[in-house]
Amino acid sequence: MNVLRRWPQVLWLTVVWVLLWGTVSVKIVLGGLLVAVLVTALFPLPLLPRLPLRPWRLVRLLGFVLMDLFISGVQVSWEALWYGPRSRAGIVAVPLLSRSNWAITLTAGAVALTPGSFVLQIDRRGFDAGEARLYVYALGLRDPEDAERVRTMVLRLQHKVIGAFGTPEELRMCGEAGE
Amino acid sequence: MIRDVVCAVLLLLGALSCLLGALGLVRLPDLPARLQAATKPQTLGLVLILVGTAVRLEFENAATLVLIVAFQVVTAPVISQIVARSAYRTGTMARDNLVVDDLADRMERDAD
Repeated sequence: MNVLRRWPQVLWLTVVWVLLWGTVSVKIVLGGLLVAVLVTALFPLPLLPRLPLRPWRLVRLLGFVLMDLFISGVQVSWEALWYGPRSRAGIVAVPLLSRSNWAITLTAGAVALTPGSFVLQIDRRGFDAGEARLYVYALGLRDPEDAERVRTMVLRLQHKVIGAFGTPEELRMCGEAGE
Repeated sequence: MIRDVVCAVLLLLGALSCLLGALGLVRLPDLPARLQAATKPQTLGLVLILVGTAVRLEFENAATLVLIVAFQVVTAPVISQIVARSAYRTGTMARDNLVVDDLADRMERDAD
């Protein structure tokens, strides 16, 4: 019974259904469950290994992303208002610290959410040789030192993502103490 | 009273954020830079405006707004990223504007 193993998806879809109706009643919850089970059975997503979850580190990751959101929001507004058409940008290669789809997706998502930057290209070739890279576009760079700053920022973000969701093995690889 | 003030502050901040996004859209030089202005401040502005609205609504209606925020936050970056990637590959990006371009080096090495 694959639907049973996909219970988190069923639960989430039911919550969305109830939120769309805006009221909680037995009829709506049961209807939502029915729709969720049908959708999950008809359009199954690939089953991924369950993630280890460290709540405190997740909170720290969220705090980090929110701070980043605010700071770079101000920076990009300044760049647009002050430099305007003369503003410069850069594409910075950042070493990839994990090969798991989850960690890469979450990192790319967080980078994309912060104003002024997104991941342009993910290159996973040569991971074992340490050659795998994320290519991050960032707005408002002036010199190579700024590029270094972006690189440090994205590396710290990756450490935090792996800290919150990584397997113990990945934690060791990044030199973080497991909990 | 407090609700009104919180609501007004959030709505104004949201509107300001959207305004900054619009200014960036006009003033920035090339496609990826404009994408930044078009997606990020707009998302933040929408989130602030919806939270401001939610403060004044009953709980049931506010819950639906949470869904809008969630889908906006999940979809907007993905789309901007795909557009930027194709902009880079088709050469719509102003390369002289780049201070560093590590990706070009990599692509050159791959071409050899």
